[in-house]
Formats: sequence, C-alpha cells, structure tokens
Amino acid sequence: MTTVPALADRRIAALAALAIGLQVIEAAIPSPVPGIKPGLANVITLVTLVTLGWRAALAVTLLRVMGSSLLLGTVLSPGFWLSLAGALAALAVLAPLLRLYPRHLSALGLAVTAAMAHTLGQFLLAWAVIIPHPQLPLLLPPLLLAALITGLVTGILTASVLADPRIQRHVFDPSTNQSG
Amino acid sequence: MIRLRWGDGVVVALATALVTTSFALSYAPAAGPTHLVVTQAGTEPRHYPLNESRTIRVQGVAGITEIEIQSGRARCLRSPGSRGICEAAGWLERPGDMAVSLPNRLTLQVQGPQRRFDSMHY
Repeated sequence: MTTVPALADRRIAALAALAIGLQVIEAAIPSPVPGIKPGLANVITLVTLVTLGWRAALAVTLLRVMGSSLLLGTVLSPGFWLSLAGALAALAVLAPLLRLYPRHLSALGLAVTAAMAHTLGQFLLAWAVIIPHPQLPLLLPPLLLAALITGLVTGILTASVLADPRIQRHVFDPSTNQSG
Repeated sequence: MIRLRWGDGVVVALATALVTTSFALSYAPAAGPTHLVVTQAGTEPRHYPLNESRTIRVQGVAGITEIEIQSGRARCLRSPGSRGICEAAGWLERPGDMAVSLPNRLTLQVQGPQRRFDSMHY
C-alpha cells in the first residue's frame, strides 16, 4: 500500500529542496570573510513563512539545515550548530512579526529582521560556547553590517519572488494560508 | 515593485542604529600610549612617561641604545645591532607597538591605560 503525501507535505519538501540547493550552491562561493555569505536560502524561508505559515517555515528550515549539512559533510560540526542557531533565532523573531505582514511590514522588513537575528543568534552561540574569547565582539560590527546589506538584498529577492505569478500559482494558495 | 510599509522603515532604521552602535562601541578610537616600558635582561622594567620629550641612553651588553621620546611617541634612535632592526621599527605610537634590540637584550614597548593585543589572527 502506498500513501500519497499530503499537499502541504509535498510543498514543504519542494521548498526544502530549493533551500538546500541554494545553500549548497552558496557554500561553493568563496567568501572574503568567514561568516559572511548572502543567505539566499533565507528567501525560501520567508516565502514559506508568508505563504504556508510558521510551522511550515520551521519544517523547511530544519530540513534545510539538516539536508545541506548532510550534503556538505558538516553534520554536528560547529558550522552546523551555528547554522541551526542562526536559523532558529531568525524564525523566533519572525514568528511574532508575521502578524504585521503585509499590512504594516513588507517582505523587506521581514528579511532584514531575519538577517540581523540570524547573525546575532550565531554570534551569541559562537561567543558563549564555541569561541569564548573576550575580543570576539570586535567581529560583530562587520558581521551585522553584512547582515543588514544581505537582508536588504534577500528582502528585495523575496518580494520579487512573491510577486511573480508563476511562483504564486505553485506556492500561494489562500486555502492553506490559515495557519499563519 | 515592493510596496514598502511603515514597519520597513522602522526595521531598517533600528537595524542601521544597531550596526552604527556596534561599530561605535567596538571601534571607538583607543587612547594613545601613555608610557614607554624598557625591559632589559637582568634588570627591572623601567617606565618613562611619553608626555615629555627626552632622549634616553641605555647601556647594554653590546653598547648603548639611544631612545627618543617626542610628542606622545617613542623610537629607537640608535642601537648597536648591525642590521638596524631596532631602528627599523620606527615610531612606536599605538599601544602595544614594540621595538627590540637583541644584541642589547632589550625591548621597548609603548603602553596605554589598558593592555591591548598587538594583532589578531583567526
């Protein structure tokens, strides 16, 4: 007997696959400074969040962190925990802000918030557990500046993805938008 | 294309403020060095204030090292080392800057109110 996955499950799987793909591609791009990268997978998290709600966004995020670290060979390494901490911090801040979308806050505001929370969450874990060095806060300002810039970029990307009718046809469905 | 809302302005303003504050707190210009510490093998480290110009002559095993202090900074003016390494360190003007004369077995370091790292690598 075969079971057909529910529509929501298939959507989550498809979005997680996209996010994993983006994160793996991004890992191949050399970065001038460790810890600074565009965070394109965040676009998928945001699209999931505003179309399917925060539970689906949490599922996609966890699948992305686990799936991409399996492919990159970083499961349970410091990078894995940093990735997880950043992703969960971003979601924790985004979930309450979702009430303001789209009337008071657009995808741009969500993306900037997510990027800043991601960087701060990662930094706090790094400082508290992985590298508890008194001079580590010197790294925070450039990382936050990078988060602001990449947040603006991913926000613009998210808004254009959400505005695209081809994406809306596949992803957006008002009947499943009740959980948000 | 993006329909911006007032919340976006608030978020971007708060994020910019956070970035600016973090830069200001972390990279506030450090106070300049206040004194020169001359450490020579076999003697107690000697401290000299940097706010008065003077020339110090230190007798070492290889000869005399001449140190110049001028307007809040110090340099190794002459030293017996044949390769001029001590002189090549130039003006020591940031806390932690250092000049070394191995023949005379001494180090010169300018220090501020707090000890700072001279470099960071990661």
